[in-house]
Amino acid sequence: METKYWRSLEERNDPATFRKSEIRAEYEHKKSVIKGENGSSRRDFLKAFGFTIGGTALLASCNRPVEKAIPYLIKPEEVTPGMANYYASTFYEGNEYCSILVKVRDGRPIKIEGNDLSPVSRKGTSARVQASVLNLYDDARYKGPLKDKEPVTWEILDKEVIESLDQLNTENRKVVLLTPTVISPAFREVIAGLLATYPNIEWVKYDPVPVSGILTANSESFGSEIIPDYHFDKANIIVSFNADFLGTWLSPVEYTKKYSSGRDLTTGRRMSRHYQLEAHMSVTGANADIRIPMKPSQESAALADLYHELLRLSGSTAESGKSGIDELSSVASDLWANKGLGIVVSGSNRKENQLIVNAINEMLGNHGSTITFDRPLLTRQSTVAPMERFIGELTNGSLGGVILYDVNPVYDHPKGSQIAGALKNLSLSVSMSDRPDETTTLCRYNATGTHFLESWGDAEPKAGFYSLTQPVIQPLFDGRQPEESLLRWSRNSIAYYDYLKEFWRAELFPQQTQFSEFNAFWNDSLQKGVFEGPALSSLPAYNDLNLNEALQSVGKPSDGWELILYETIALGNGKFANNPWLQELPDPMAKISWDNFVSVPVEWADANGVENESVIVVNGIEMPVFVQPGQADQTMAVALGYGRTEAGKTGNNIGFNVFPLVQASSEDRQFWLPGVTVETTTKTYPLALSQTHHSMEGRPIARESTFAEWQLNPSAGNEIREDHIKHSTTLYEKPDYPGHHWGLAIDLNACTGCGNCTISCQVENNIPVIGKEQVRNRRIMHWIRIDRYYSGKPQNPYVSFQPVMCQQCDNAPCENVCPVAATPHSDEGLNQMAYNRCVGTRYCLNNCPYRVRRFNWLKFVKSDKFDYHTNSDLGRMVLNPDVTVRSRGVVEKCTFCVQRIQDKKQTAKIEGRPLQDGEIEPACVQSCPSSALVFGDMNDKTSQVFRLIGKTTDPEIPGDPRNYHLLEELHTLPSVGYLTKIRNTNT
Amino acid sequence: MKYADITKFWLPRHVLPFFIFIAGFLLLMPVEVLGDTESQESHSVSLADVRRGERFFKGLLPFNREHQACASCHNLSPTDTLNWNPSAYELAQKFLTRDINEFRNAVMQPSGAKMTASHQGFVLEDEDLGHIKAYLDDMAMKGPESTKPTFFNLLIFLGLGLILTWALVEMLFLRKIRYKFIPVLLFLGAFGAQAQMVITDAIRLGRQKAYAPDQPIKFSHAVHVGEQGIDCMYCHTTADHSKSAGLPATDLCMNCHVLIREGTNSGKFEIAKIIESHETGDPIEWTRIHNLPEHVFFSHAVHVGAAKLDCASCHGPVEEMHVMRQHSDLSMGWCVNCHRDTQVDFNDNGYYDTYIKLHEQMKAGEIDTIRAVDTGANDCMRCHY
Repeated sequence: METKYWRSLEERNDPATFRKSEIRAEYEHKKSVIKGENGSSRRDFLKAFGFTIGGTALLASCNRPVEKAIPYLIKPEEVTPGMANYYASTFYEGNEYCSILVKVRDGRPIKIEGNDLSPVSRKGTSARVQASVLNLYDDARYKGPLKDKEPVTWEILDKEVIESLDQLNTENRKVVLLTPTVISPAFREVIAGLLATYPNIEWVKYDPVPVSGILTANSESFGSEIIPDYHFDKANIIVSFNADFLGTWLSPVEYTKKYSSGRDLTTGRRMSRHYQLEAHMSVTGANADIRIPMKPSQESAALADLYHELLRLSGSTAESGKSGIDELSSVASDLWANKGLGIVVSGSNRKENQLIVNAINEMLGNHGSTITFDRPLLTRQSTVAPMERFIGELTNGSLGGVILYDVNPVYDHPKGSQIAGALKNLSLSVSMSDRPDETTTLCRYNATGTHFLESWGDAEPKAGFYSLTQPVIQPLFDGRQPEESLLRWSRNSIAYYDYLKEFWRAELFPQQTQFSEFNAFWNDSLQKGVFEGPALSSLPAYNDLNLNEALQSVGKPSDGWELILYETIALGNGKFANNPWLQELPDPMAKISWDNFVSVPVEWADANGVENESVIVVNGIEMPVFVQPGQADQTMAVALGYGRTEAGKTGNNIGFNVFPLVQASSEDRQFWLPGVTVETTTKTYPLALSQTHHSMEGRPIARESTFAEWQLNPSAGNEIREDHIKHSTTLYEKPDYPGHHWGLAIDLNACTGCGNCTISCQVENNIPVIGKEQVRNRRIMHWIRIDRYYSGKPQNPYVSFQPVMCQQCDNAPCENVCPVAATPHSDEGLNQMAYNRCVGTRYCLNNCPYRVRRFNWLKFVKSDKFDYHTNSDLGRMVLNPDVTVRSRGVVEKCTFCVQRIQDKKQTAKIEGRPLQDGEIEPACVQSCPSSALVFGDMNDKTSQVFRLIGKTTDPEIPGDPRNYHLLEELHTLPSVGYLTKIRNTNT
Repeated sequence: MKYADITKFWLPRHVLPFFIFIAGFLLLMPVEVLGDTESQESHSVSLADVRRGERFFKGLLPFNREHQACASCHNLSPTDTLNWNPSAYELAQKFLTRDINEFRNAVMQPSGAKMTASHQGFVLEDEDLGHIKAYLDDMAMKGPESTKPTFFNLLIFLGLGLILTWALVEMLFLRKIRYKFIPVLLFLGAFGAQAQMVITDAIRLGRQKAYAPDQPIKFSHAVHVGEQGIDCMYCHTTADHSKSAGLPATDLCMNCHVLIREGTNSGKFEIAKIIESHETGDPIEWTRIHNLPEHVFFSHAVHVGAAKLDCASCHGPVEEMHVMRQHSDLSMGWCVNCHRDTQVDFNDNGYYDTYIKLHEQMKAGEIDTIRAVDTGANDCMRCHY
């Protein structure tokens, strides 16, 4: 039976009316364009046009401006104008780690790519990692050290800070150094030096979204606060309770790589089965084979039930279920059948829940096989108690001073307002931030820091896996990296670079045997960016301490509304709120940008007459509504990270801040709250929804099947393709390419919808940011969008993600209709777009069945109306010099990153060798964390892309049985092939 | 009163266009031409000194001398393309911060061979030198003598427009001239001339063939390439592996000029600029000659490194150019035509092994050569992306 897909609830309920309303909206919009919003008409335009033509004719006689060419005075050896250098470095911000390569063109870092040598992130990146390069060129950054918000010299700042510290030390008053989890071993050493100099300083670690539940539970079960290494690739059964491990939980890039390799059907025949129990539809839930909606208050009971089910399967007697989730028995039997090959994880911060998780994994024998302790994850080490103690001391006035590094508790701690009030009373408050935030602006001193692309550093994300951070540009402003500041205040005059090198000489150099000379080791590590040290040896012994208490503490799920607070893929905890790329990245599920909103369940919305963009009042806060299919009954969810007030011009006052709603106790911080009051209102609030503006009209676009069927028939779910191939005839000559024929394969089974490719493409191709209003006008410019389709019941639908970019059709409908031949076909099968030829008729846009062409309706660059990074000299430094910055009135679209194709072809030609398969990687392909995209030459019979999608111009060579093309029946001959999504359901 | 009466009373009818013409001319004239702007007097030097220095420099003062006026070698206008000697403005800038003694030494007892020869036998009173210095200082502060902006083309265009309009009005309304063919001819002639100007300009738009601007240093490719036989790649080091051919960094110039401090043509003045740049750390701001039209991505590497093209095939006889100029028009037609004609190294360059079908056709004798265009060199996205 063919799956019926729907993209939004309106469409599902009444497709005809929905389409009519869409057409109506489109018409109204076009009318406003023709008529003009202030009543000017086409005739007025012609008048103006006449005058302009006259003016232009006169101006045409002007000369071109004189351009200057300024060579280097002394050319640095490694810099060649016109050629990019790549430097290995490390991204670690907001508790997210990634080993990266930084592309530096003529001294400017312009792009971040994944480092394939890293054993942790393995060439993958996330949307935030991709976007972080723009933070370097943020206008909001501080230009130098500050005292009372006035510029001050480093000498004065250092002198005064040291004096204050000395005085507080002699008075024996406590000073707190507040940092997030520090994964840099050298920085930890610097801090140790500071603590030795000033015994009155206490180091408190604070992560906005901690995993203290896991840490405290593991300290009881295993004797140490440790986050184990989860091998999602080795697991046959993955059961996740509210852990969004493909999106935001712990180490999503690493987990996505592993998860997708455990489900890769292009090379293997094994596929894990993934159960997700959650309330709010997360990216992980959307990718799950079986998703079970569950209220957060049900989690304890559900875990206990699972534990008891497993006990029963092991032959013991056990209690009966409390949670009311019937599917748990099949989860248990699946886990039992795959003992030692399962993973059970929970995103809960409740220690008791994690204790039960540990007991389950221990009973199944997962510890040591799929969950190991030799490479524990170190990126979130903070527990809640020290922070609560710090806030207590701060508010009761017993604290003397505070030094802040990379933390913003005024914004992201539920007691932020108390902290804000108390900060002003401190005699010493120093921040080391490189840009304003809610906390830094309240501090007396700001020892302005640097961006990570301007800094030295190291990192140990997992025990024994080290990586280095190296500066790729001179600090743009008079900042000093915080490590260096702390060294100065510890009266150590050594430069941090030397300190770091000495640290590596002493600590890491002895850990290896490959190099006998330190500089060789250092240079090698710096070049590769990573160094692999030995793993921890022993498996800690499990004990069931407090397990019975935990099981007994399980109560019945509470009744009433519950509100979930979650991090989004784009903004995370809000640190990057001033990044316009991330603000405009549509949420993977809701497809909403530029706002946070409250997701409500479908049935409730129907019953109460609430629809998208309605406003409801939750616990006294007005929130715009998004009706989210799959949202568990009696739950709502709203994203953290919005509502910044001191982030900068882009990020200020976007959405609302829900960190104050986080439930804080002295032991943990819970990111959901029970007993929420909900009231409906008649108000509405516009949201920038992009979910319905790429209609596919109900054709079999996203295809899928089940694992069981695929094993019997590899083309399951793709049967219709046979029919399409049979009818593939044409009067035209078959396209033929003498050299290359570029193709792109997209494995829908691997794509998790994380949005990394969208941002990567945006950075690479100078795609403008257009703001909320224009997104609402359906003008979003992303060259690669990720369509999200639902199928099945709205209460708990199946989700399919499908990245769609220009399909580079070999029989392209857009090419035929261009009146000025601005988009002809190339000898390598590319659908070309010549911006300087385009006159903006938009015929191509209208004739493209995939809706992938974008029109520059307005001047988005250097325009005060679009006051984002392209409106400032600093922000424009991020632009890729190899790609034209488009102006108003031209159409643009995906080019398969033709600049990269040209670059690699050129290298091959100069070296006189054929291109290697996999040598050319468009931006989306390069850093895909799930390796869902494969690019290559379809004329090369040995290439990976040929194996997957065959030769798209030849029906005789169809490629993988799962391969199909979008709207193949139109005979557009796309060069992009999609591989059917396979679900490992148990039915 | 009718319109005709007003015009009769106030203006001779046919003079009206002329007045508009004059009005337009006055509007477009640079302000300096209309009023003599008084320069600010400095404290020690009077305006009279500056004026006297100016007349002396230009050779307008009758004084007892054997030699030519300063201005005959040191051009007053900033454009002195073919003059090896430093222009007056350059001298002015150089000596602005130096005192009169240094100036006297430089003029009267020059160190370089070329200058010694040309300044030989100079008899100049200290007073005159002072005046000249005052004039030069004044110039250095005010900027070089401005060359009048060329409104010539625009004026012709507007003038033709007026003729055209008048002829049209005459034909349709006034009908004063007995012979109808006169306004018709005038109309056609003016219209034709205007159209021709627009078309020529439109074709030239964005093209700068034969563009040879003055450079901050009178660097001669003829001397370096032609006479000294230095290879192009010695200075333009990255031409075979980067998009950009690379301008030599100052330290590269210093490889030779650390020793060579005086040139045959330009003496010491020009080479001193490199040394100064090296010492002060201010890079030399060359004027870019080869400006590709917008939206084109060109790579030297693929043309020099892979295709092994001779530099001269695009840049012309550089070894003969004292003043570097753009040899080709760098138009798209020029690129495309070359791609149509140029054979690629199809059999020897391993990259082309990918083109299996073309190799087979070649073996079968169906085609004998592969030109750049056959491998997609004229695809839009080869250069536009």
